[in-house]
Amino acid sequence: MSELNTTTAPNVQPTEPMVPENAPLPPSKRPPGPWMMVWKKFSRNPFAMTGLVVLTIFILVAIFAKWIAPYDPAQIDMLGANLKPGTGDHLLGTDELGRDIFSRLVYSSQVSMTIGFSVALIAVCFGSIIGAISGYFGGWIDTLIMRIIDVMISLPSLFVNILVMAIFGTKMIYLILILALTSWTGVARLVRGQFLQLREMQYVEAAKATGVSSWGIIFRHLLRNASFPIIVNATLMVGGAILSESGLSYLGLGIQIPKTSWGQMLSNSQEFMLTNPMQAIYPGLCILIVVLAVNFIGDGIRDALDPRQKNSRRRLAKWRKNFLKSGI
Amino acid sequence: MTEYLIRRLLQSILVLFLVSVAAFALMHAAPGGPTQMMISPGLSPETAAIQKHNLGLDKPVPTQYVIWLKNMLTGDMGTTFKNNVPVGDLIWPAVKNTIILMSFSWIISLIIAIPWGIYNSTREYGLSDQTANFVTYVGFAMPAFWFGIILQEYFSLKLDWLPLSDMYSMDKQGDLGNLFMHLILPASVLILANLASYVKYSRSSMLEVLEQDYIRTARAKGVPERKVIFRHALRNALIPIITVIGLDLPILVAGATLTEKVFNWPGMGRLFVDMALAREYSVLMAITMITAVAVIAGNLIADILYKLVDPRVQLGRKGGNA
Repeated sequence: MSELNTTTAPNVQPTEPMVPENAPLPPSKRPPGPWMMVWKKFSRNPFAMTGLVVLTIFILVAIFAKWIAPYDPAQIDMLGANLKPGTGDHLLGTDELGRDIFSRLVYSSQVSMTIGFSVALIAVCFGSIIGAISGYFGGWIDTLIMRIIDVMISLPSLFVNILVMAIFGTKMIYLILILALTSWTGVARLVRGQFLQLREMQYVEAAKATGVSSWGIIFRHLLRNASFPIIVNATLMVGGAILSESGLSYLGLGIQIPKTSWGQMLSNSQEFMLTNPMQAIYPGLCILIVVLAVNFIGDGIRDALDPRQKNSRRRLAKWRKNFLKSGI
Repeated sequence: MTEYLIRRLLQSILVLFLVSVAAFALMHAAPGGPTQMMISPGLSPETAAIQKHNLGLDKPVPTQYVIWLKNMLTGDMGTTFKNNVPVGDLIWPAVKNTIILMSFSWIISLIIAIPWGIYNSTREYGLSDQTANFVTYVGFAMPAFWFGIILQEYFSLKLDWLPLSDMYSMDKQGDLGNLFMHLILPASVLILANLASYVKYSRSSMLEVLEQDYIRTARAKGVPERKVIFRHALRNALIPIITVIGLDLPILVAGATLTEKVFNWPGMGRLFVDMALAREYSVLMAITMITAVAVIAGNLIADILYKLVDPRVQLGRKGGNA
C-alpha cells in the first residue's frame, strides 16, 4: 500500500524538463493510516469529542476517587442525616443515614466504569471468537452456534440476569459474567455476517494458497478487517452494561452495601422521596451523562468509519431544500 | 407457505424445548438448588427427607425435568412452595395486568412515533428531526426507572395530580377511570423508552424508500408530493417497521419489569422479581416459558406479516441469515 503511494503521490510537474532518467524520486510523506483518518474525522465531530472528554473525566474520577471524595461513602452518621446540599462540607448533602451523597456518587463511578468496560471487553472477545468460528467454518458448527443464539435471544436478558443474580448470589464477578454472557450474541452475529462476506475475498484465497492456517487467517486477516464494526458495537455495549447494572442494583440484585453504585443509590432514594427529593436526581443524572457520552463516542466512531453516511446525506438534504425554495 | 410454516413451527418447538432445558438446568445448578430453600433450617433430617420426597426433590434432576415437562404439557404449572398456591392463579392475573400496561403504552407510542418519523423523513435535519434525535439519544441513555421515579416525585408528590403507584386505589378496585389515572405515569415511562427507537426506525425506513427509483418516477410524472409520501412510499416503508415491532415484543415484556417495580404495578415483571427473590422455582419456570413463547410467536408473526404485506419476500431464503 505505502509503496504504491510513494510512486504516485509526489507532484511530478510535467513542465520541468530536466529530470534525469534515474534520479531518486523526491521523498513523499507517509500516507495517513486508516486509524489516523478515522481519528481525524472523529475529532471534527463536536458531540463525539464532548463525549470523549466527559468519559475521560468520569474515568479519572473513578481512578482518583480516594482523593476526590471528601468522606468515606459507607460512613454512617445518624446525627448528620438528611442534610441540605451545601451544609458544612457536604457538597450535595447527606442521605437518610448521614452518608455523604457526593462521596457516594464519586465511588459509584468506579463500579459503573469497571462493569461497563469489563463486560464490553469480555462480551466482545467471546462474541467475536464465536462469530468468527461460525462465519469462517460454516457447516454444522455454524448451525449449532446459531441455534444456541436462537435459544439465548428467546429469553429476555433482564430475566436471565435477575434469575442468576437471585439464585447464585449478588457478587460483583457474577454480575460482570452474567451481563457479558447475555450480551455477546449481538457481536457474534455481527462478526459472523462480516466473515461470511470477507471469507470470499481474494486475499483469503491468497493466504490459504500460501499455507496460512485457518486460525492465522481468522486472527491476522479477517478479524482485523472486521475490527471497525466490532469497535462500534463494543462502545455501545459499555453504555448498555452500565444501564443494566443500574437496573439490577435498583432491584437489589446488583451491587450491595457497603459498596455503592448509582442504581443502588436510586433504590434507596425512592423510599425517602418525601424527605429528600433531590437524592433521586443525582445518581440518575450521572448514569444519563455517562451513557450519553459513551453513545456519542460510539456514534462518532461509526460516522467516522462510514464514508457514505451522514455528511453527504446532510449536504443532499440542504441542497434539496434550497432547490425547493428557489421555486424552479 | 404451508411448508415454511410447518418448518418454522417445528423449529420453534425445538427452541422452546431447549429454552426449558436451559432454564431448568440453570435453576438446579444453583448451590443448594431449590432444595435448600424449601427445607426450613429447624427441621430434623428425617422430616426434611420426608418433605423433600413429598416435593419430589429427592429424584435426580433429569427425572424432575421429565415430571415438570409432563405436568406443563397437561397445563399443570405446579404450586408454589410457600402456601401451596397454584401457579396459574398467580400468573394469569399478572399477565393480564402486564398486557394492559404494555398494549396501552405500545399503541400510543406507535400512534406518535410513526407519523413523527414520516414527517421527519420529509424534512431531514429540520427542527422536528433534531428534536426527535435528541429524544432518541436521551431515551436510549436514560435508565427508564429513574425517569419513573422523577415522574413520581413531580406529578404525584409535588403536584398531587396522579396516583403514586399500584393499579387501583384501595376503594376503587375495577374502576376504569381509576385504572386510567394509574396507567398514565408508568405508560409515559414506557412510551418514552419505545418512542426513541420507533421514530428512528420509521424515519430511516421511509428515507430508504424515498431514495428508490419508483419514487423519483412518481415525482417526475407529476404525482403530488402528498400522494407520493402516503400512497407510494409509506406502504413500502411500513414493511420493515412491522418486523422491527414484532422483534421488539420480548424487549417490551422484560422492559416493563423495572417500570412495574417502580410503580408497584402487579404485572409479570414484578412477579418475576419477587419470585426470584423468594426462589419460587415453579413460578419462575412458568414465567420464563410464557415469555419464551411470546418471543418466538412474535418473531413468527412478524415473519408471516412480512410475507403477507409484501408478496415479493421469499420466506426461508433470507440469504446468510439462516
